Amino acid sequence: MKLTKKTIASLITLSVASALPLSASAATSSSKIVTLNLFVATSSSYEAPETAMYNKVFIPEFERQNPGIKVNFSTYNSSTQENTELQTSAATHQGPSIFEFGTSMVPTAYATNMFHVLSSRDWAMIGGKNKFFAAQLKMSGPNPSHYIGVPDMMLPFSMLYNKALFRQAGISSPPTTWTQFVNDAKRITNPSKNQWGTVIDPEDSYDPWKVGWQLTRQMGGNFLSGNLKTATIDSKPSIQALTFWFDWVTKYHIASPNDLTYKSTDAMSAFESGNIGMAILQTATAIPSLKTSKVKNEYAFAPIPDVPFGMKSRPANGESAQTIVSGQDLAIPKYVTGAQYTAALKWIKFFTAVKQEQMIFTHMGYLPVNKSAYSNFKAFDTPMMKAFVKSELGADPTPFSGAWGNLEVVYAGVTNSIATQIATHTFQESNIAELLKSADEQVQSSLQ
Amino acid sequence: MAGNYELADSSTEQAVRPRNKLQGKRNRPPYWMILPALFLLVVIVVAPFLVSIYTSFTNLDQYTISNWIHAPFVGLKNYISALEQGNALGASSLQSLWVSISFSLLTTILITPIGIFAALIVNKPFQGRAFVRTLFLLPYVMPVFVNAITWRMLFMNGWGMIDRILSVLHLASQNTFWLIGPNSFWAMCIADVWSSWPFVYLMVLAGLQGISEDLYESAYLDGANSTRSFFSITLPMLRPILGLALLLSTLNHFNNFTLPFIMFGTPPSPQADVLPLNIYITSFQTFNFGLGAAMSLITLVIMLVPAFFYIRLLRLGEEM
Repeated sequence: MKLTKKTIASLITLSVASALPLSASAATSSSKIVTLNLFVATSSSYEAPETAMYNKVFIPEFERQNPGIKVNFSTYNSSTQENTELQTSAATHQGPSIFEFGTSMVPTAYATNMFHVLSSRDWAMIGGKNKFFAAQLKMSGPNPSHYIGVPDMMLPFSMLYNKALFRQAGISSPPTTWTQFVNDAKRITNPSKNQWGTVIDPEDSYDPWKVGWQLTRQMGGNFLSGNLKTATIDSKPSIQALTFWFDWVTKYHIASPNDLTYKSTDAMSAFESGNIGMAILQTATAIPSLKTSKVKNEYAFAPIPDVPFGMKSRPANGESAQTIVSGQDLAIPKYVTGAQYTAALKWIKFFTAVKQEQMIFTHMGYLPVNKSAYSNFKAFDTPMMKAFVKSELGADPTPFSGAWGNLEVVYAGVTNSIATQIATHTFQESNIAELLKSADEQVQSSLQ
Repeated sequence: MAGNYELADSSTEQAVRPRNKLQGKRNRPPYWMILPALFLLVVIVVAPFLVSIYTSFTNLDQYTISNWIHAPFVGLKNYISALEQGNALGASSLQSLWVSISFSLLTTILITPIGIFAALIVNKPFQGRAFVRTLFLLPYVMPVFVNAITWRMLFMNGWGMIDRILSVLHLASQNTFWLIGPNSFWAMCIADVWSSWPFVYLMVLAGLQGISEDLYESAYLDGANSTRSFFSITLPMLRPILGLALLLSTLNHFNNFTLPFIMFGTPPSPQADVLPLNIYITSFQTFNFGLGAAMSLITLVIMLVPAFFYIRLLRLGEEM
């Protein structure tokens, strides 16, 4: 068949004409439907069950309760994806309708100025600030009138310990001071059996700053000044804190030299192999994996020691800082407006309700941020869970600075350098101060 | 007669001129047909490139990204910072450039003889050749992510298989620390060579198929042994495809990001801080997009020089 210009033109006209009513009807029906696109965090180990929870439970139930709102979701399981999505959405003013961030990411998100500051009316729609753990709200914004994040899960840190190794070493209870911690670890350590009192992970991208900051807070220091204008990573408490952490390998020999190349997953694997006595900065999300490990009947959680090494009590300005305010927050970008914004608030209210919060804990291991979720729920009536909740009550928020993300990465650079120096026998204790000074200068340049 | 011919030619010319004009119009290359490709090129390549140039002169960070067009102009500050010495975070871009160049050249030099040798082995028919050919491709088809994780486990200090074997053979200490410090560079090279040599193998194998058997027969009749044939026939005939393979391999290795990212995490030791990783950390982890853009552009300019001479030297365009 020969196609003439006329024929082609007729075909195009016909197809356009026939498509018009279709698209018009689609537009009419879709105009009544509000679509929410969630961007949510999942654990890399349990992505499938978590995704299934959204697909089969949360979203169908929410859509049933809210006809006219359709929910789609995408997941991420690394800070790389979290950063990239935030940056892309900030630059293009389009993307997910609701972001789920780790708490330490909220200050960076706030700095981008791309998220709605929640009004009193918004909070009322979500169910009020009072339903949440007060400590968790400390990372929602720089002050209560500028909150952008709504907590939806929390992950207080605790110390994981091996009961069998404790029994073997004749230790009756977990340490409450760092001096006891070192002494107990020494009793557990037996290098010939590759058995170590504790484990460190200086090659991880994010664990090092958490350890360093926590120890620094207990000694009365901080990484940033109170007004967030000056970096203080090279302060004396900070130097002492980092020195103490590496002393576990170099001076007290309670952690294996192999740990110098470890990331957090390596440290966890080492604990699960049954060779480690105590691992700090662990959360309830480790439980599913621990339940299938060699130590499934021998692990327990306890609060992290909070009295600095060599001291009987904390200095006057020291903080317990047994856990960082840690968990996940939900935030709505400014490009989400009108009916979509209202729908987003409805989702947040739904997702932070007691029923959903309890299910999140059961299937994902994250603790509820909704205080009411703890009443009449058997899963929390255990010493282990009580230890987590106790830690949360004393949780210390990290400084709410937009440069905190930079600080985390720079701090990891410092611990990487120290680990390398120790491994190559070029380490001197004074190097820690020098490296922290360099880190301090770099962080200072990113402060506003 | 000549005049007649001229007359005839002239009249014919006059008669066919309008037709020739029409034909000439028809024969003219239809340049407008490349417009869609040109448009895509502008959208996908030129526009982002121009944005990168613009970004490199601004202080684009987490505070300004929402309104990136109006990020403060800082002149050449980012370019100066990029050339400064490394900081607490790791290597400077110049150090990283050196790491990337060393890594890409060294790995290319190492994989070339391995690839050629492997291709020569499976070029001649033998029983089980198909199986061996498939086997040779395994490292190449394995996802980089899996490769990197596997090598990370092998290089683990103390209990990793590499350290164990080396210490049993008394070749190295069980505490070699492959994943941090100076050894991280060698660990990265070893892992990369293992996974990338089949690329050269594939290219050379394809090249070998194009060499006529007649050449070898003639050489044999002239008394050339197999070594002579290899150096006088095989290698010269492979020159264009090998040149292309080396060029692509060097460029691919220079841009390798995934392997060090997975093997060492961020930030890596300065010795393994290849430029793409350094730029990624600077831009996307510390939100210093301006500096990251400046680092990228400096790299581009530096890489253009050897790439230009390399292509000229190999005369790839002429011989392919």
